[in-house]
Formats: sequence, C-alpha cells, structure tokens
Amino acid sequence: MIKILAPSGRTTCASGPVSGLLFLGGCVSAVLVASGITVKGVVLVVVLAIAHRCAGSMAIFARKLRFVALFSLVLLVSQALSVHVGHVVLFGRITDQGLLLGAEMALRFLVILSSSLLFVAMTDPDELTHALIRAGIPYRFGFVLSLAVRFVPFFSQELARVREAQRLRGITFSYRRPSELRRAIYYTFVPVLVSGLVRVDAVTMSMKGRAFGANQRRTWSRPLRWTTTDTSLAILSAVLLAVSIVARRFQWI
Amino acid sequence: MLSARDCTQSEGLRIKNLSVRYPRRNIPALCCVDELIEHGELVVLAGPSGSGKSTLCRTLSGSVPDVIPADIQGGIWLDGTALLGQDPSHIASVLGYVQQDPDAQICTLNVWQEVAFGPENLCLPVEEVRTRVHAALSEVGILDLQQRSTTTLSGGEMQRLAIAAILAMGSEWIFLDEPTANLDPDGAEMIFRVLGDLRRQQGRTVTVVEHRLAPLVSYAPRVIVLDHGRVVERRQIRSHYDLAEMRLRAGWPRARSKRSPAEGGECSRRTPLVNLVDVGFGYGERTLFEHLSMSIGRGEVASVIGPNGCGKTTLLRLIAGLETPRDGIVDRDGSVPLGFVAQHPHHQIFERTIQREYAIDGIHDPLEVDRLLAEARLDGLAGVSPLSLSMGEQRRLTVSTALSRRPDLLLLDEPFIGQDRANVIWVLSQIRKASERGAGVVLVSHDVELVASISDRVVYLGDTVQMGSPDFVFEALAAQGRHAYTPGYWEEGR
Repeated sequence: MIKILAPSGRTTCASGPVSGLLFLGGCVSAVLVASGITVKGVVLVVVLAIAHRCAGSMAIFARKLRFVALFSLVLLVSQALSVHVGHVVLFGRITDQGLLLGAEMALRFLVILSSSLLFVAMTDPDELTHALIRAGIPYRFGFVLSLAVRFVPFFSQELARVREAQRLRGITFSYRRPSELRRAIYYTFVPVLVSGLVRVDAVTMSMKGRAFGANQRRTWSRPLRWTTTDTSLAILSAVLLAVSIVARRFQWI
Repeated sequence: MLSARDCTQSEGLRIKNLSVRYPRRNIPALCCVDELIEHGELVVLAGPSGSGKSTLCRTLSGSVPDVIPADIQGGIWLDGTALLGQDPSHIASVLGYVQQDPDAQICTLNVWQEVAFGPENLCLPVEEVRTRVHAALSEVGILDLQQRSTTTLSGGEMQRLAIAAILAMGSEWIFLDEPTANLDPDGAEMIFRVLGDLRRQQGRTVTVVEHRLAPLVSYAPRVIVLDHGRVVERRQIRSHYDLAEMRLRAGWPRARSKRSPAEGGECSRRTPLVNLVDVGFGYGERTLFEHLSMSIGRGEVASVIGPNGCGKTTLLRLIAGLETPRDGIVDRDGSVPLGFVAQHPHHQIFERTIQREYAIDGIHDPLEVDRLLAEARLDGLAGVSPLSLSMGEQRRLTVSTALSRRPDLLLLDEPFIGQDRANVIWVLSQIRKASERGAGVVLVSHDVELVASISDRVVYLGDTVQMGSPDFVFEALAAQGRHAYTPGYWEEGR
C-alpha cells in the first residue's frame, strides 16, 4: 500500500509503489504522446483530483505546486509572445497557434511535475526500495533511496537549528556583499556539513552493526501488497495512455 | 561467519594488549587494554569523556577501523575466535552495539521495519523475523508504537527503538553507549530495568557505558574505569558502600547545597528579566503546557525538569524568542543581553579558529581571548580549529563564548549530556559565577542531582506543573510517587 505521510506521520491515503510508478509512467507518457491540450488538461484534472482525495497532504502539495504553476505561466506567456504563426487573437500580437503551443508546453510541464510530486507524496520510500530491489537492483544500492529520504528532514532540522544559533549570537549577514555572502555560506554550511558527516558515520555503523551487507540476499518480511486501489490506478494509467494514443491518431486539439 | 579459531584463548570476550590510535592524533585513544569479560556478566564502563569508552565499544563491534579509520594493535577474541579484522556486518550476529545518539542510528522510516532490519539482513525466515520483532518491541515496552513513523518518535522512544533493533539480532553480547543520556529519569529507570532483565532472564552479557551507577548497584555490576585510554580500576560493585568507596562521583556536588529557599524567594521578588504570563504552547493539536506563569529575576537560577517531550526545550525557545506563544505573554526586554548554550555544541560553532570564534561575540583582544581560554581550561588553543576539539572541550568553548558577552540572561539546554565530572563541575561553576554577577539563568536538565545542587527554583513540566524551591518541588514529586525525579533516588538508588 502506498501511504501519504501527513506531517504527524499518520497515513491518510493509500496505494502501492508499483501501481504508483505505473500511474506516474502513464501520466508522463500520456502528456508526451497526446497532441493538443484536451488530453493533457484531462490528465492534469485526474492528477489533481487524486491529490485532492488525499486531503491530508493537499496543503503541502499545493504549496509545492505553487512554484510549478508560476513557472508554467511564464512558459505559456513566453511561448505566446515568441510564436507569430496563425491568426492574431490578442493585443495585436499574440496568435492562436502561439497560445495553443504555450498552453501545451505549460500543461505538459505541470502534469509531469505534479504527478511526480504526487508519486513522492504517496509512496512509502521503504516499499519503493523493496519494489526496486525485487525488480533486480542490488539491495545495497536500493537502500540508498530509503536513507536519502531519512536524511532530508535531518538536514532541514539542522539548518533551522544552526540559523537559530546564529540569530541568538547576533550573527547577521547582508547578502548584497560577496564577502558577506561567503561568510553566510561558511557559517551555515560548515556546521550542517559536520553534523551530516557525523551522521553518515553513525548510520553506517548502525547498518553494518546489524549485518547489512553480510549476505548476498536478505529476507523481506513485509510482502508487497496489491489492493483494489492499486488495480484502479493501473487501469486508470492504461486508459490515459490509450486515450492519448487515440488523440494523437486523430489529431485532437 | 567468524573463523580463525584460536583454541588457546579462554571462553568469553578476551581483549589482549589492545591499543587504538586515530590518524593525526599523537595520543592513543586506547592504550594496552587487557580485559576478560565472562559470559553472563554485567559490566559498566566508566571514566571521563575522551577516556576511550566509546572507542573500546566501536573497536569490539568492528566499526573501528572499518568505518572510522584507526591504527590498531593487540587482539580481541570472542570464545576463542579472533574478532579483529572481521567485517562489522559479520561480527553483528554475535555482538551488538547500541550507539550513543539513538536518532542517528535509525535507518528506516517505520518502527516495525527498523527492528526487522537486522534479522532480515541475517536472512532469517519471515516467521522468525516477526517473532523476534515482536519479542524485542515488547521487551523495551514499545509494542504499541510498531506502526509509527520513526520520524515522529521522542528521544526516549528512539532510544528504546535502538535497543530493540539490537535485541532482535539475537546476539548474546550487547554493548550500549550511554543509553540513558537523552532520557528522562523514568525512561532511564526503565532502561536500567531492561538491562538487568537481559542478563537475568535471557542470559545475555551486557556491557554499558554509564555515568550514573547508583541505579545499577542492585544488579551487582563489574565496573571498569578507563582514563586516558587505560584501564585504571576494576571493581565488583555489590552495595552502595562499594560504590561510595570507588568514589566515582567523588567531588560531585551534593544535593541541596546551594542556598536557602528564602534567598531564592528574595531573588524572584526583584525586577524580573523575563516574565511569562499565562503562557500556553503546543505543536499542531498537541498542547505542551497551558497557563504557565513564571518570572526569572536577576541572580536567580531556575531549572526546568520533566519527562521527555514535555516542552522543556520549548520553554527555553519561548524565552529566547525563537517561538511565539499560543496564548499569554512572554515579556522580555529585547535589550537584555542573552547567552544561549544549545544542546549540541557543533550547532553554534562557526569559525575556523577559536580566536575568531570569540570575535563573533566582540572579543578581539588576543590577551582577553587567552584569559577566557585559560578559564575554560583550553589554554594555548586560540589558533586551533574549534572542530578539532573533543565534545567536552567544545562544550566548554560554547559556554565560554556565551558568557564572554556577559549576558544578563543565560539559557542552557542540557549542558551536562555526555560530559564527565570535571566538565560538569566547570559548567556548574560558570553558572554560579554568572548568577553571582547578577545574571538570571534558566537551565534545562535531566540530571536532578545537579539541578538540586545549583537551583534557586525548580520547574517540573509534566501532566501537572510544579514550581517552587527545590525542596518544595522534590517533596511534592516524591509525594506523587515520582521518585526518579528526586535527587535522593540517583544518589542512593532504590
């Protein structure tokens, strides 16, 4: 089952890593294959609808998507301004072709980013690691993914603590001067890096101290589960892909 | 997995003439250690910080030199099998090592998965893995947390998880490096009980690095004292008398020796440096405390104690202005100079040399820096990188830099964790000096004995808040049955 981990750690929505990957693959191929904006728009609506169903993570999802949406808008505008083929429809300069191309590009970007974000939010990295290793990746490498995810909150916490310590000691930086910027980087990254290195040693000792790497294989006591949610996601991915092929074949707008 | 059997060695863990030297260090971390730990023993490794306790554990588990490079001489045999030169992942099936920082050794995202990690690596059948995980989680009392995400655990829960993860490996030999350092008194007591049970009921051989010996006396441990990498004393402890004789805590401040409560009362009547009125705080839906009112006066030492996760550090953060209260007012004059000593020294060390580190706090005169360094027993290190200092030295440096700006309000978050006797006494002396100068001090600590020795006022944060003179608060806590939060418990044991 995939889980969306809310900040409290509670599971709010579920499906599995394999179906999650299939869905991600389905969405990305659909927007790459399909012509026009209709199918791409539909895929975006589907992704947002699924994200909305998992209400627990929606706030974080929306916050992350804000930057992506802004960038898509920039894509749309710059494309519309730079294409001069077709009928002029706006401000005596922007053409229908330009708008269509811009919208296509923006939608493609939005779908790829939002479906990736949704996948990351919905997938338990431990289960994804398990799935990848099942697929043939050596387990020593597969675990890097789980560890990377473990380390992300660690680095952000360390950064916050170091910044607070700077504030309490009255250390302030004016980022306009290059020398100050260099000092800011040094004062911030050195303490975080030191913590990180100590941490890497500790986790290596901890893993080896529990026989990690002692054998070529290892037991997986949690079976990969497949539920109706997973089946629905897999079917949905297939449908999206099929529709996009049809759209390309008949040149839908 | 282990080979190279040497039948001439006796049964047990035999350490012979072991010396360990880290690269670029002149003095060896361990020097000529000869020791025999027999099956079923409970051994306590004691000694000042930097005396080689952790190095010994790491060398036995194979992490030194595999993860942390070092030059090693001598030998280690477990029941006649040579351990030195073996990969730690192979040693893991017979000897488990729980490191000091529990958070740093968690490598998965779920409690159940974390405990299963080791047995899975041993290629055990799924049913066996499940049985072991269940047994280990029950043993340390966190079976109800098995589906929790590891990122949401408190310090005490993480410590128990780290122990459970090693227990599930099923190794007979277990080494634990300061397993109670981050725990509240109740949590520490629970860990001591677990250690005793491991030996009595499961016949495991337990070696623990620990400063607090009193609670372990009833398990009749053998104490090995290390100093400067050498074993300086070995003794079987059977009673508190034995312990007193060892004088391990000789020179430690005795409880309730500071001032009379009346004097403390007088302090708080003076103009307060910080005033908390009806303060409430919580994270998300969780409320840490409500309607908390207190003030810190000049020259007053107020200590905050309580269980893990009760909001002690948060209270410091509120006073420092790093958090905004949910309700009520935290009234502190922004112009009052503030000194803050964070829990981990490396969070507040920024510069390339110690001299420059003092410059951050406005001390540029090399003579003044030398004087401060001499006071912190860091003589002649002005040109040295602060990162090359030991943890104990870093702690002295952060206290010294925090005090160099002569703060009127000094906030210290767990300054005694992982510190040896000499450092603890030094930090206490600095707190006293600051308070005599008229600074208000707020100290967060789990060590109730030290708290009792230095405080004018104690604040217990828990289900109920207790506040007042140390005598009053400790008596109230004793009356509520919270004996682990009273200094007498740690002095004399049960």
